[in-house]
Amino acid sequence: MSDDLIIILTAGLVATACGLLGPFLVVRRQALMGDAVSHAVLPGIVAVFVLFGTRAPLPVILGAAAFAIVCVLLVDALRRSGLVRGDAAIALVFPALFALGVLGIDRYASSVHLDLDATIYGEIAFAPFRVWELGDMRLARSVVLLGVIAVVNLLLIAVFWKELRVTSFDPMFATTAGVSPAIIARGLLIAVAITAVTAFESVGAILVVTMLIVPAAAAWLLVDRMGPMIAVSLVIGWVSAVAGHLIAIRLDASIAGAMGLVATGCFCVALVFAPRHGLIARALLRGANRRAAATT
Amino acid sequence: MGWLIELIPLPYPDAVVALGAALLGLTAGVVGCLAVLAQRSLVGDALAHAALPGIVLAFLFTGAREPETLLAGAACAGLVGAVLMVGIERGSRLPADAAIGVVLSGFFSLGIVLLTHTAHTEGAEQAGLERYLFGQAAGLLERDLRVMAILGAASLLLVAVAFRPLKAMLFDRGFAVASGLGARWLELASTALLVAAIVIGLRMVGAILMVAMLVAPCAAARQVCDRLGPLLVTAGALGAAVGVTGALLSARSDTPAGPVIVLVASAVVAVAVLAAPGRGVAWEARRRLADRRAERGRSVLLDIETAMHAGAPPTERELALMSGRPARDVRRGVGRLVRDGHALVDDGRIRLTAEGAAMAHAALESRALWSAWLDHGALLGLDGREPDPRDVRGSLGDAAADRLVHLSQGDHP
Repeated sequence: MSDDLIIILTAGLVATACGLLGPFLVVRRQALMGDAVSHAVLPGIVAVFVLFGTRAPLPVILGAAAFAIVCVLLVDALRRSGLVRGDAAIALVFPALFALGVLGIDRYASSVHLDLDATIYGEIAFAPFRVWELGDMRLARSVVLLGVIAVVNLLLIAVFWKELRVTSFDPMFATTAGVSPAIIARGLLIAVAITAVTAFESVGAILVVTMLIVPAAAAWLLVDRMGPMIAVSLVIGWVSAVAGHLIAIRLDASIAGAMGLVATGCFCVALVFAPRHGLIARALLRGANRRAAATT
Repeated sequence: MGWLIELIPLPYPDAVVALGAALLGLTAGVVGCLAVLAQRSLVGDALAHAALPGIVLAFLFTGAREPETLLAGAACAGLVGAVLMVGIERGSRLPADAAIGVVLSGFFSLGIVLLTHTAHTEGAEQAGLERYLFGQAAGLLERDLRVMAILGAASLLLVAVAFRPLKAMLFDRGFAVASGLGARWLELASTALLVAAIVIGLRMVGAILMVAMLVAPCAAARQVCDRLGPLLVTAGALGAAVGVTGALLSARSDTPAGPVIVLVASAVVAVAVLAAPGRGVAWEARRRLADRRAERGRSVLLDIETAMHAGAPPTERELALMSGRPARDVRRGVGRLVRDGHALVDDGRIRLTAEGAAMAHAALESRALWSAWLDHGALLGLDGREPDPRDVRGSLGDAAADRLVHLSQGDHP
């Protein structure tokens, strides 16, 4: 495989894994949990490095996942105490954990090269150089890891399709029907946490956050049903992966950033031109309504 | 500012950082309340991230390295981000958090692309653009302090002047709009205040941790204040205290100031949430425990009363058998009654004192009144008013309670 192909494939798989979960997060008004989790895992990464002296992917993912789950549960507990609102709970938990991570780096890991940029920017450009040798096959590590995560997410969505939708849109009915919204919500967030952790081990936090929110938000402007919404966000994700990579090469700039920019561009197009919920469509509708009201 | 720094008994660089942290904490604490109460806590996060492309663009266009120019760029980008955020939320069907998320990721992606692009072409490393992301309090100069002080004072002044309209906006938007307060302008003004606070904080704690400085003081102060005025004052004072404490701790332990300040702020919130008088988690748990004990005592009291009517004063064993309560509960309930002087244990047999008997009768009557309310309450015609189950007579008034007694005895008036 060529390097470009590996990078695009990695980003596309990130887009797939995130695009499957993102729409649920957005319709549940939890879009920012991805952002919170992606910052909150820093102490996990640092702890693994300090305790075991390794940056190998599996231990790092496990350490980060532990803190991601801590973050999700802490936010949940704060919210349920009723003393702090949901959005404030997010804003309280993740900076605390992130600060812990920054201090950990400063204390124990500043001599070695565990820099903040690597966890925040991530370097998708390095994806082709990290390979696993399997017999005489050379597999790009990020492609394998993210492929597994994407498949797992797909299975999760397929198995819990009914439950996820009913708890997203009618939690009261879900409770009556014997599906616990709280358990499904926590499960979804843990899936998001594990996806985010795995993904930004290879591509960096900002791309994960972007891929969780932006394609799903754009899709929600374009379509009305959950299935098509996921499909549209996957398409936007892959378009961003391919176009972003081309732009990044042209500009000699961060690949993840460029992909995020393309996704945001897609969002802007959707925001303006979406057939029913776009700005133009809404303005036309408003005008038509006004004329109709004036003539009657 | 020089005289103020000389007043602080610290080495010069530490004093500068401590003063800066205090300014940041004060401004961010007060201004953050506006965002938290509007349930837009994470707007601060998005705006702080949105500052990044502003800083890089300011550097690209002017080539300047002094913080004033770069921070002006950050402020412009923050304002643009804020306007876009409000626009997306108003103009489309996306909820606030999705709008915040889109602006955050879009601007931050742009910032990273610009940053890496310039890093490859020009010597942006020397401009120290990255320090705005993670903060670098150690590089703070007296000149920075002056900028921070001016911005902070202007923000606080604006909050003080616009206090009443802002309050109306926060708690009753409909009323604010209807009274012609210019809701859009007020919203824009409070977002501009947020941007100002973020500009103050970028050098200190950096873009990523900035949101904690905005939210934490308010969240902690909210546990002890119920009115906006005291809340703003408390949050500002807490923010300043947290800033100074964090700065001193970091100077002493030779660690970066930003994360230490944020951790101190988080600790303050944790303490407030756990132990706030009358509200905190520990407080609530204690109240629930006391309630449960009182209820256990009352139930055992009634069990004793019932048993004494049936025959000889019961033993603890008999009480447990009769009521079906766990023996441990009965033992504890009896212990409490004896301590309060409502019951006596006489040769293993339990009897009520005169006081205890009176209490049992009152409890029985209150229980009967509650079931009378459940059966006949609708006939009283109270327009959906509900009595307090613990004190039906007190909350309904004697006349209504007497009618309930009549109704339950079957004589319909």
